[in-house]
Amino acid sequence: MFSKKKFSLYIHIPFCVSKCSYCDFCSFVPKNEQVNAYLSALNTEIKARAQKYKNYDVTSVYIGGGTPSILPYGAISSILDEVRENFDIKDKNITIEANPNSFTREKAEEYSKAGCNRVSFGLQSHSPRILSVLNRKHNFADLENSVQYALEYGINDINVDIMLGVPTQTLDDIKETLQRVIGLPITHISAYGLICEPNTPLTKAIEKGELMLPDEDETVNMYDLTVDFLGKHGFSRYEISNFAKEGYESIHNKNYWARGAYLGVGLAAYSFVNGVHWNNTENFSKYLSNPTENIENVEPETLETAKEEFIMLALRTTKGLNIAEYNKLFGADFLAEHKETIKKLIDENLVKIENGFLIINNPYISNAIIAEFFD
Amino acid sequence: MSDRQKFIRNFCIVAHIDHGKSTLADRLLEATGTVAKRDLQEQLLDSMDLERERGITIKLTPTRMHYNYKGDDYILNLIDTPGHVDFTYEVSRSLAACEGAILIVDAGQGVEAQTLANVHLALDNRLEILPVINKIDLPSAEPEKVKQEIEDVIGIPAMHAPCISAKEGINIDAVLEGIIKEFPAPRGSEDKPLKCLVFDSYYDNFKGAICLVRVFDGSVKKGDKIKFMQTNNEFEVTEVGYFTPKAKESDALFAGEVGYIAASIKKVSEARVGDTITNADNPAEEALPGYKQVQPVVFSGIFPVDGSKYGELKDALEKLKLNDSALDYQPETSVALGFGFRCGFLGLLHMEIIQERLEREFNLDIITTAPGVSYHVYKTNGEMLEVSNPSNLPEPSLIDHIEEPYVNAHIFTPPEYMGSIMELCTERRGENTDVVYLDEKRVRLDYTIPLNEIIYDFFDNLKSRTRGYASLDYEMADYRTSKLVKLDILLKGEICDALSLIVHQDKAYERGRIMAEKLKEVIPRQMFEVPIQAAIGGKIIARETVKAFRKDVLAKCYGGDVTRKRKLLEKQKEGKKKMRNIGSVEVPSDAFISILKID
Repeated sequence: MFSKKKFSLYIHIPFCVSKCSYCDFCSFVPKNEQVNAYLSALNTEIKARAQKYKNYDVTSVYIGGGTPSILPYGAISSILDEVRENFDIKDKNITIEANPNSFTREKAEEYSKAGCNRVSFGLQSHSPRILSVLNRKHNFADLENSVQYALEYGINDINVDIMLGVPTQTLDDIKETLQRVIGLPITHISAYGLICEPNTPLTKAIEKGELMLPDEDETVNMYDLTVDFLGKHGFSRYEISNFAKEGYESIHNKNYWARGAYLGVGLAAYSFVNGVHWNNTENFSKYLSNPTENIENVEPETLETAKEEFIMLALRTTKGLNIAEYNKLFGADFLAEHKETIKKLIDENLVKIENGFLIINNPYISNAIIAEFFD
Repeated sequence: MSDRQKFIRNFCIVAHIDHGKSTLADRLLEATGTVAKRDLQEQLLDSMDLERERGITIKLTPTRMHYNYKGDDYILNLIDTPGHVDFTYEVSRSLAACEGAILIVDAGQGVEAQTLANVHLALDNRLEILPVINKIDLPSAEPEKVKQEIEDVIGIPAMHAPCISAKEGINIDAVLEGIIKEFPAPRGSEDKPLKCLVFDSYYDNFKGAICLVRVFDGSVKKGDKIKFMQTNNEFEVTEVGYFTPKAKESDALFAGEVGYIAASIKKVSEARVGDTITNADNPAEEALPGYKQVQPVVFSGIFPVDGSKYGELKDALEKLKLNDSALDYQPETSVALGFGFRCGFLGLLHMEIIQERLEREFNLDIITTAPGVSYHVYKTNGEMLEVSNPSNLPEPSLIDHIEEPYVNAHIFTPPEYMGSIMELCTERRGENTDVVYLDEKRVRLDYTIPLNEIIYDFFDNLKSRTRGYASLDYEMADYRTSKLVKLDILLKGEICDALSLIVHQDKAYERGRIMAEKLKEVIPRQMFEVPIQAAIGGKIIARETVKAFRKDVLAKCYGGDVTRKRKLLEKQKEGKKKMRNIGSVEVPSDAFISILKID
């Protein structure tokens, strides 16, 4: 009996109402006709990919961006209808990203009916000052309303993104943001450090000296505070920047960290299927003119890159790296391959081995620790 | 004297750097029609770019010129000499190939230390000296005063010295006339067995080592069997000739002439400077006097920045050695820097030249450890070790005492800087042996000073304290007992052998402290705290700490982030590979370079 393979599906919506100061993702403020043209191209791509990956079932769907919630009423339903027509969605596991100020009662109803059971809100901070540094146009009340709408329509798996290490941000700011966020009936929090990508307005302002990043110690204190605070309120850290109430870990994201297959559709979307990485073009008109034949950076994984990604992703999780799984997957001996490195890191108390898992003790310097395992 | 010899003059030019030696040489080539003006590169005789940049002549290119004086055709052989103290032995051999020396003195600056040192070498070789006062076109020129100074300081008549400007081409004929009238023609017998002095050699890819020679007796031609009297190596001559300044083959070289001999000699070390070539079938009874094998006095380790380039470094040193018999190197292994070479040099300039040639001509990135000298270490069991690598110093308990090399240094300076110079010399453990007032504007200070103290930035320091007015010359003196200790640097408890030094006990604390401070600046923060310690024996004398870094980027990692992040970390790891590991501490290669620059 031929059993079907599985992957998760990512759908990219590259539109925003305005561009955040730190953002270098593929997103822009669209014109009406661009939205319609894009939705039609997206449908074409979904059909074509479904043809190609007939023997794949979809385990989870994630609609990200950009800001999917700014699409006009009905757009998300029609995208998900198209997906369902072409793929089998095995588990009801559909997340949509939303901005607190574009998530209306009507949209909550629409998304719920369209099958979304999880929503992820980009809050970043409660503080109007921080939000203005980030050039975000919502406020905390918008989030409170959005959460209420989601719950009204039965979407009760709710993530809130918050950001740490933003210029002018203080420990008190963080504490207040966290306090307010956990006061809401939400299930999941992503807390990650601001990254200054080159050529963003924020990076330029920092380079010019108009804004200053909090220093290293201050940022570490922010993380400590976050981990500690969230832990006390029932949100356990299960990956470097992810916290969840019991039973609410993100299924879609865990698939990434387990190196499961995923298909990305839409502008600039990344895919990893059958051991091959690629991404769709980032060029909007190129995508519109041919949504199915525009993939770039096709890179089949090698044993080495597979191992490196496995190690990198596993060590970012709190559970750590399953040594037996690694050995089985790669027909290798992890402890022997990295004997010197592991000894050195254990001597420095940077990692530990517990119950067959290698675990990072100090996730703040995970990049440096992970890089030690690379050849 | 043969008729041939009557019309030959062999001479060299001695001068202080910048006094115009190369410019005068160029003018002589031009005035004799040897080289047309349009073909003259600035300072033609300095054939290496590096030398040209530094304004220092290192390699010698003897050039044959023709000059008609009062109806007679003369052959003038100009043997250029290096002007730097590192190459004193080469200078002395070049002088030995001449009968006369032009002494150039800057009309504005007067006699300088190097001038004096080289004049003494010339006098030792019984050369006739023709003083020439250069740069008379400059407003600061005081030719009469300088003539007087030459008479007072050097003790040779100078009142009729030609006053010239090599740069402007003024009075060059007077120099040519002086060469013919003042310098004796060579003497020697063409009938005696061959005796010729090797005063330089260089490597040619096609012909092998080429000997630059002065024939004193006999003659030599293609096909002759020759023998080096010091090494006893025998070869068959494949070519003889002279330089114009390009090499030009000739039928034979006769007594009194200067030229070159090629004999399929594989290495320049087989054609040593100072050796005497004779005819293997009809040998001379004894060699020319003055041969000695040059000994390196300054030592340092040279390592490739990229450890995988060891083979390339080895090849490069081999090639340099082909052309530079004074360069000495042995394989060396450093815990910190991996595989490299311990190299011996004639002096600091020689060391810098080798370093720069490795970098420029061979495109190698290298780390050079702190230059040191060779110590005589007397062990308690009576054994004496020569130690030039601090890592080879025995345990303190096994050492009875250590001797270090001293030099006699001569510093010429305007009197107003004396105080500052004396301070510098005292700091460097120098002992003042003499102060000679040459005139109201110039003083000569003589010091006995450890070589180790002047191979660090002594010269730069001297120049900056005297606005460039002071000049320095030195010669090796003797070995003296000193209180020397080995200073080690420990990173996280591990000795970093590449940073170990032998220093005077009184300076160890200061130096240890400065090195620890500097290392703190150049060692990047790591995943753990890195203590930096300076130690003498087991005793810690200075300590600094590089704190652990607390966080790297804590970004999210979904979908497309995965590959991107993997590549980022791969790059991070690549960067780490360029680091040197001292125990678990990663030290960037340039940290070694910058730490070794401090003093």
